Amino acid sequence: MPDPVSRQGLAQMNRSLLVNPYVLIAPGFILAALIILWPLASITNIAVHDVNRFGVLRDYVGFENFQVIFADPEFLGALRRTAIWVFGIVAGSIIVSIPVAMILNADFYGRGLARVIIMLPWAISLTMTAIVWAWAMNGESGMLNSGLRAIGVLDRNIQWLAQASTAFPMQILIGILVTIPFTITIFLGGLSSVPDDLYEAARLEGANGWQVFREITLPLLKPFVNIAVVMNTIYVFNSFPIIWVTTQGGPAKSTDILVTYLYKLGFQYGRLDDASALSILMFVLLLAFTLLYVRLAMREEKA
Amino acid sequence: MSLSRKAKRSIWSWVALSPLIVLVLFPFAVMILTALKPPSEVLRQTWIPSEFHWRNFITMWGATNFGKALWNSVYVSTLSTIIALIAAIPAAYAMSRYRFRGKGAFQQFLLVSQMLSPIVLVIGLFRLVVWLGLVDSTNSVVIVYAAFGIAFSVWMLQSYFATIPRDLEEAAWIEGATPWQALIRVFLPLALPAMVVTALFTFINAWNEFVIALTMLRTQDSYTLPIQIFSLVAGRYTVEWHHVMAATFVATIPVAIIFAWLQRYLVRGLALGAVK
Repeated sequence: MPDPVSRQGLAQMNRSLLVNPYVLIAPGFILAALIILWPLASITNIAVHDVNRFGVLRDYVGFENFQVIFADPEFLGALRRTAIWVFGIVAGSIIVSIPVAMILNADFYGRGLARVIIMLPWAISLTMTAIVWAWAMNGESGMLNSGLRAIGVLDRNIQWLAQASTAFPMQILIGILVTIPFTITIFLGGLSSVPDDLYEAARLEGANGWQVFREITLPLLKPFVNIAVVMNTIYVFNSFPIIWVTTQGGPAKSTDILVTYLYKLGFQYGRLDDASALSILMFVLLLAFTLLYVRLAMREEKA
Repeated sequence: MSLSRKAKRSIWSWVALSPLIVLVLFPFAVMILTALKPPSEVLRQTWIPSEFHWRNFITMWGATNFGKALWNSVYVSTLSTIIALIAAIPAAYAMSRYRFRGKGAFQQFLLVSQMLSPIVLVIGLFRLVVWLGLVDSTNSVVIVYAAFGIAFSVWMLQSYFATIPRDLEEAAWIEGATPWQALIRVFLPLALPAMVVTALFTFINAWNEFVIALTMLRTQDSYTLPIQIFSLVAGRYTVEWHHVMAATFVATIPVAIIFAWLQRYLVRGLALGAVK
């Protein structure tokens, strides 16, 4: 039978476990740190060494791997396409999402259904979306060609995925479609915070629709646009399945972006050292963007 | 007779949204119509099948090794969600209830790990998994998903926990309850909906993940659904598209329905976490 003192001690310990924040965050921190910091340290270590095909570390080479990456024309092409990819999808999704969010924010018959339809792409895994689109864009039997021919837009089949000039824009289009739901969600949050009487007052003052949009809606949406830009940029920069599933960066590496180039370096070409150097470069880019996001979020908090 | 203002606006709204709606529904039409085509019609450029060939869904099951991949996906998603939540719930509780030194740093750590997609770390993660001896084991994917799910879960949960008034627990303490009793009897029931929503999102993220599974899982026995279905398409000379589309449909629709139902909660969580 336990004596009262140790029982009290036990209760004390139980209590302190519950009210000690460090104990509470420890499991989450340890697991997340193991999976994030260990690989990060490992990549950093590989990035400054020479590594053979089997992943065995050899000589310390300093920044040589980084120089190899910067001199690689494949890297420069992928870097350029990543800029187009990110800019195209982020800008495209925001330009479409602002008017659509405004429509969905007003009351109309069937609004609930319209919201569900427009949110659908978010619910499906990118891999599955990309597989379906790859089949739809099939040159001989794809339903995109037959659909566009039926409505008279095309008079012959296009091999959508066989050349970069059609494949890459289509990949960006798919990227825009799957990014729109999240972007609209952020904007709907912003629009719902606008009090209705503000619009009423503007109407009474005789402002037209465009003036209301420019003078009231847009300024109020601005912080939400900033958040959408930063979060989408990070997300799209990391997006891998659309390109990997539809073209694997082909034909002739003409649709590679940084993430697919990184994957090929690491797991197809067996250039682990260069791949690690590239990972570090991408990590630094992402970190810069994340810090920007924190800045923005904090500025909102102060405002 | 003139239309009411709302009716006019409804017509105008649907017309304005129609191009986007067509683009959104197009892949679903492709998926469903192909899944229902008789095999002989799949490569023909017709939209509507001559008959709805429901048997595709039965033959798909064996032809695509669907059952094993489904089980792997369920196993990986469920286990990683449970681990992520067990780690995230106390952390989120601490974040929403206490001020402590290092809280800001922990928050930033979570933010950075949420922003870092696994793809950037994939080389290091692969080496970690090799070191743990877990290559080609579904457990390797479980660990990585759980760890990446923690940041998201803590983020979502803490914004909900913060809305549960502290007074309720303190009132229970005054009534003579121990902190543990207050936690279990007062706090947990109120926090349960938030936990369920967070768990479902973590589950869906794991269900849909691609890069990590593609890297760690090497044989068909360990493939999750996205990798299994991708393997039926990638680098194949002939693809049985009716089976692939039927498999895609079955793998996608249940999760999509849960997501469509939950999506408004995500909006609330994100809005609370990111903006407020």
